[in-house]
Amino acid sequence: MEYRRKLFSFPTPYDLDGSRALFLQAIEENVRFHYHSCPEYQKIAQAQGFSPRPLQNEEDLAQLPFLPTILFKRHDLRSMEGKKFLLTATSSGTGGRPSSIQFDMDGLFCGLRMVLRLGRYHHLFSPVPTNYIVMGYKPRRDNHAAAVKTAFGATLFAPAIRRRYALLYRDGKYVPDLDGVIQSIISYSRSSLPTRFMGFPSYTYFVLRRMEEQGITVKLKTGSKIMLGGGWKQFYTQQVDKKALYALAERVLGVPEQAFEEFFGAVEHPILYCSCPNHRFHVPVYSRVIIRDVHTLQPLPYGCPGLVNLITPMVNAAPLTSVMTDDLGVLHEPDSCGCGISSPWLELLGRVGLTGLKTCAAVAAELLSEVKL
Amino acid sequence: MILAKGKLYDNRHQEDILSHLEEEIAETRRTQSLSPETVIATADRLRQRALDGDFHALLAPFLQTGMGPLIQKVLTAMSQESLTYRMQVELGGCPPPIVHTAPPMGQQGVEIRPVPLGTLLHIAAGNADGLPAYAAAEGLLTGNVNLIKLPQADSGLSVRLLWELTAMEPALADFLYVFDTPSEDVTAMKKLASIADGISVWGSEEAIRAVRTLAPPGAKLMEWGHRLGFVYISGWENKEEEMKQLAEHILSTRQLLCSSCQTIFLDTEKEEALTGFCREFLPFLEQAAQKYPFSSMGEAAEVTLRRLDGELESILSGSPLPFFSPSGCCLTICQDEELELSPCLGAA
Repeated sequence: MEYRRKLFSFPTPYDLDGSRALFLQAIEENVRFHYHSCPEYQKIAQAQGFSPRPLQNEEDLAQLPFLPTILFKRHDLRSMEGKKFLLTATSSGTGGRPSSIQFDMDGLFCGLRMVLRLGRYHHLFSPVPTNYIVMGYKPRRDNHAAAVKTAFGATLFAPAIRRRYALLYRDGKYVPDLDGVIQSIISYSRSSLPTRFMGFPSYTYFVLRRMEEQGITVKLKTGSKIMLGGGWKQFYTQQVDKKALYALAERVLGVPEQAFEEFFGAVEHPILYCSCPNHRFHVPVYSRVIIRDVHTLQPLPYGCPGLVNLITPMVNAAPLTSVMTDDLGVLHEPDSCGCGISSPWLELLGRVGLTGLKTCAAVAAELLSEVKL
Repeated sequence: MILAKGKLYDNRHQEDILSHLEEEIAETRRTQSLSPETVIATADRLRQRALDGDFHALLAPFLQTGMGPLIQKVLTAMSQESLTYRMQVELGGCPPPIVHTAPPMGQQGVEIRPVPLGTLLHIAAGNADGLPAYAAAEGLLTGNVNLIKLPQADSGLSVRLLWELTAMEPALADFLYVFDTPSEDVTAMKKLASIADGISVWGSEEAIRAVRTLAPPGAKLMEWGHRLGFVYISGWENKEEEMKQLAEHILSTRQLLCSSCQTIFLDTEKEEALTGFCREFLPFLEQAAQKYPFSSMGEAAEVTLRRLDGELESILSGSPLPFFSPSGCCLTICQDEELELSPCLGAA
């Protein structure tokens, strides 16, 4: 897996042109590995008339077998023996069952290099001791959700002197403690050290809104940041305008818009997408995005909305090379953002889904689960 | 949100409202009655206001998700003409007529008049936004006090509509209570059920069995069990036309209704007949799909993902691939005789 290692050590994280050959070689290597190691992947590839072959250009990526994320919820797809797994992560299971994905040690080292590289690029690291407000779950040994691990990981960007979690585990379940978080924010604002927020945008928004409703405003120290990640889908469905969130944070916390750092990723595509100064998710060298037509699944050109297909050679433990998410998005042209990052940027539009109509039978099932007497 | 006696309350007032509920309802039933004419006139005014755009802000989110035609149907059903017609057909007139019997041989005659059952608990269906409001309207038409337990999936439309109804006609306010308490709140559910003379429940047999344990002795259970629609084909009279109509029925209802066809049974022992039917029927589905397109990109994407998933599942399980039409309609051959929900439901 030489090419994968080289790709994840590539010095400039948004130089897609410079890393293209390496990316294609790493993908070919990764696909070949899964083809020969994961019987289900091979079966699907063969049924679709695909066999591993050298990739000539990025257009060839569209020919790879792409697996919908829902398949990982129902099948334990593996390309390695269980004992070689270092980490298991689960998706949040927004639409029902979560995916459970295993990661290999080399893949995780690649991920670590990626985080270090992107962290430096986006100035996420700081030696200044920091207070943390984690707008997410307090980690537990039996909670494998990727959102928990990444939120905790983000509290390592600057030395944590204390962490306050919004979702606490009590009596066998997680419960939000937003008032407790507000008390901690007030207390942290009196500290001489900066405060960083990390976690779900929706919780962050609710806390700030509640503070404003209660007439509580504070001024966090310079260097404070609001890092948002995970739960974008729910955030979009609440139709909260990001601009409204930035303005709210400025009013309530005294934190300017530039102090926002947003992340996007998925357990089935564990690549860190960091927002640029214009709050856009540019494609890093470790990843590619294909937007596919919602009817035909054919690749679409820049600017056209469709289903988001994500590609990376990062993971060997499971065939995550090309996954079809249930997100709708648009890929915008390189150099169209204006922030100085040349790679294309991904705009998320929301999730696939039928209208609010529910079936008679589906509602019956829901009622059944509701009526527990 | 709770609606009680024409006022909206936060859920934290539930316990307090429930503690006075029985007493309040008893007082209402002792001192007031509700005529169907009042209910019909109010429903018609509500409809007129909706048509005039008064509730645009409330309805806009539903219109955006392509529910315009459904809302139109509901509004039509709320018109004076429609409700009077229903009363006429189902109860013999509006108000329902009083029948004086004249038994033979000098026996004493009696007067028969429909009367309200009393207090109805509606454990409302949530398969379309606003349906619980319609259930309440039916309960009001028959003069009952109505306790509506909203489904968890309710979007808030029902309680707002019913609140508007009581605001327009205060005479309805004492006859209408809406709760969005979850069914897991057994104490509240038991309290609501204990007050009811009839419980209108919608769901599977298991759900109905569970609700039955709640019903006090003497309370009537009005069951609306879910049904799975199917089509049985043993031959054709006008094959082309019948296939066209079946395809249009499937696509126009998106298999979402109890009466929607989920499974097609072919009376044959030959497997070739099954594959032959699929090949023949698929173009009709495709034509119907063109006639009833999805209203949003998200819907089309969901269907496409389901199709992709179905295809990959077939590959992994080694079962024959379903038949797909270009727009994503799908026919799967099963050898058994089970009546089951279509995996393509919502999409066809």
